[in-house]
Amino acid sequence: MSIFFSKNSIAWYFILPVLAVHFMVVALPSLLSLALCLTDWNGFGKINYVGFENFYELFDDRYFKKAVWHNIIWTCLFLTVPIALALTCAYLLTGITKGQMLFRLCFFFPYMLASIISCQIWKYIFHPLYGLPAWLNSKGIDLIPAVSPFTMKETSLYAVAFVDGWHFWGFLVVIYITGMYQVDNSLYEAADIEGATKFQKFRFVTLPLIRPIFIFSIMIIIIWSIPTFDYVWILTQGGPAYSSEVLATNLYSQAFDRFNVGYSSAIGTLMFIYTIFIVSIFGVLRKLGWEI
Amino acid sequence: MIKKLFIVFVASIFSLNSFSVFAKTTVTWWAETNANRDPVFEAKLVDAFNASQNDIELVMEFKEGLNDILRTAMLSGEGPDIVETPGPSYVKEYQEAGLLKSMQGYSSQYGWEDKLLPWSYQAGVFNGEFYSAPKTFETMIMLYNKTLFEENGWKVPTTLSEYEDVASKIKAAGMNVFAYGSTGWQPTHEHLAGMYLNSYAGPDNVYKALIGEKDWTDPEFVGAVELLRKHMVDDGYWSGSLENYYALGWDDFHAMFASRGAAMMTIGTWTFGATAAGFADSSDEWDWAPFPVLRDGGADPAYLLALGTTMSINASSGDPDAAAKVFDFIFSNKKIVLDMAADFNFGEFVVPLYFSADDIRNDVSPQVKRYLVDFAEATGKGDYGYTTWTFWPADPGVHIWKDMEVVWAGDISVEDYMYDHQKMWDKARKKGELLPVGAR
Repeated sequence: MSIFFSKNSIAWYFILPVLAVHFMVVALPSLLSLALCLTDWNGFGKINYVGFENFYELFDDRYFKKAVWHNIIWTCLFLTVPIALALTCAYLLTGITKGQMLFRLCFFFPYMLASIISCQIWKYIFHPLYGLPAWLNSKGIDLIPAVSPFTMKETSLYAVAFVDGWHFWGFLVVIYITGMYQVDNSLYEAADIEGATKFQKFRFVTLPLIRPIFIFSIMIIIIWSIPTFDYVWILTQGGPAYSSEVLATNLYSQAFDRFNVGYSSAIGTLMFIYTIFIVSIFGVLRKLGWEI
Repeated sequence: MIKKLFIVFVASIFSLNSFSVFAKTTVTWWAETNANRDPVFEAKLVDAFNASQNDIELVMEFKEGLNDILRTAMLSGEGPDIVETPGPSYVKEYQEAGLLKSMQGYSSQYGWEDKLLPWSYQAGVFNGEFYSAPKTFETMIMLYNKTLFEENGWKVPTTLSEYEDVASKIKAAGMNVFAYGSTGWQPTHEHLAGMYLNSYAGPDNVYKALIGEKDWTDPEFVGAVELLRKHMVDDGYWSGSLENYYALGWDDFHAMFASRGAAMMTIGTWTFGATAAGFADSSDEWDWAPFPVLRDGGADPAYLLALGTTMSINASSGDPDAAAKVFDFIFSNKKIVLDMAADFNFGEFVVPLYFSADDIRNDVSPQVKRYLVDFAEATGKGDYGYTTWTFWPADPGVHIWKDMEVVWAGDISVEDYMYDHQKMWDKARKKGELLPVGAR
């Protein structure tokens, strides 16, 4: 009897409602979705088992391969540009005493905007008739052609990544700056005595000591890059000509435009396996003693 | 004892009778919400129907994101009595899953086949039985700035040579040929694809391809897509360039058309309201014409058939007879239909009935009146073409617009695109996914 009222058990009682809800709305649908990848279900009628047919078809699908490649580019972009910018800005901001909060607020503000608003802002900025380049052109300043980068196949993916990065990087600034404030000031004083430059202090003091936060940010970027959807969907819907198609838009289109729910579940399954793989890598690194 | 039983019997009969006298059957109808439309449906359809009889209470519920909610409800054996879908491809899926009730019996009982335009009735016949009725129809037309055309002495084109000739004159005058764009609604491309396929290859050939007597790889279809590619990419007919076409949305291209940024606009009849509003403050006048015939030899231009929304009865409806009475009320009341459609600027609830000029309100613009009468007359005689969103199955239906961008980008040849298209049709045909076309 006492086992039901032990300290450990009581903790479980508190968690139980959340676990039940999580099971019903996340775990169970996910498991069902995994099962659907082996069927030809169209979202309405009979479910027929088709084995691995969806996967064979998937590996032969040129637009799926294109979407995979775009997700890789997306991940690489987000692992470099926003991180580099955020680290630099966070480090510079730690040296500012007056007005630092204002900068932090400015950088973080786009993160608080709904994705639809961010996207509309940038769509209007690059609008070919009423946008900034068109206005500059009308004033005789032909710096940028009045063509929306979201509508050109050469630039669409990068343009969408830019808008998403613009909204996201302020979040990184905030978490990095929080990490930097945890660094013991005496270490910087010691470095000063040794005659270290600002860059050397960043390289040999700051960076090693914020490593857990830094690695955490890399992990979330890799994981969040897999299901990226909203910015792509709002700005380009994966176009033009699949030039900004990513896995999530491909999955959505298969499920809701083409009624290929089984096929889209196969895409979802691969995304799931990839996520598990990434999380496992970080788990292994943790076991090896990395401070993550 | 017998006396007591008699009293109980009389009392129960009385209570049953009184129940049936005062209780009405409720028919529920879920529709996609729209702040402007919903009050009109309530006032002019729901209230009118409920006032017309004492047995049925029609309740319309307006939902955000109806498709997703409806599908979930239907799959769990719930949902409204009257099921509204965005088009025949959805009806096909629901019907195959056994989620819709056949309305064949009601159709025979109420004579719906004689009340609805034949093509629209046929579009609701699945496996020989009537499953869905059209809630609204639409077609593609070519709007033009009448004042501008008259000022410049331009002629509304009816053939390919006239079409290309007037396009070059419009461009030489510093305007865009057509105002149009696809931002916010990528399937806009299929409006153009459908027009070119029907106009260049001819509706008879499109019909043959739909029923499998021709292949989409045949030269007339390849030629149609190639001509569209040339006009879109090389000549920049729509909003000046492919990139601008991708970047402009509904408000942008209507503003462009109303402000002489473009001389014409290829669009569906759902635009009448927006176009009239755009020209309200302008001294220019707009008008419309059928899209020109782009094939050699010429022919009468054909209206493309399109159903905007469909209405069916839920297989799990508690009282399908009552739901059928709602449909019959609509199909038997041209005045209510036209009155509501006029309130929606003929962009919604244009139920395909046999309209004549006398049926239409006097305050309806002459352009719209001409369209309604012409369309009913021409399509009633069997002179029509086919839109992709009403007659193409889901997979080829998405391919026709989504992969059209790949052609326009120059990443695939028109021949390869049409080869892929044919493969998708073959697959859909094999899986029994084709939609009803009706005999031509």
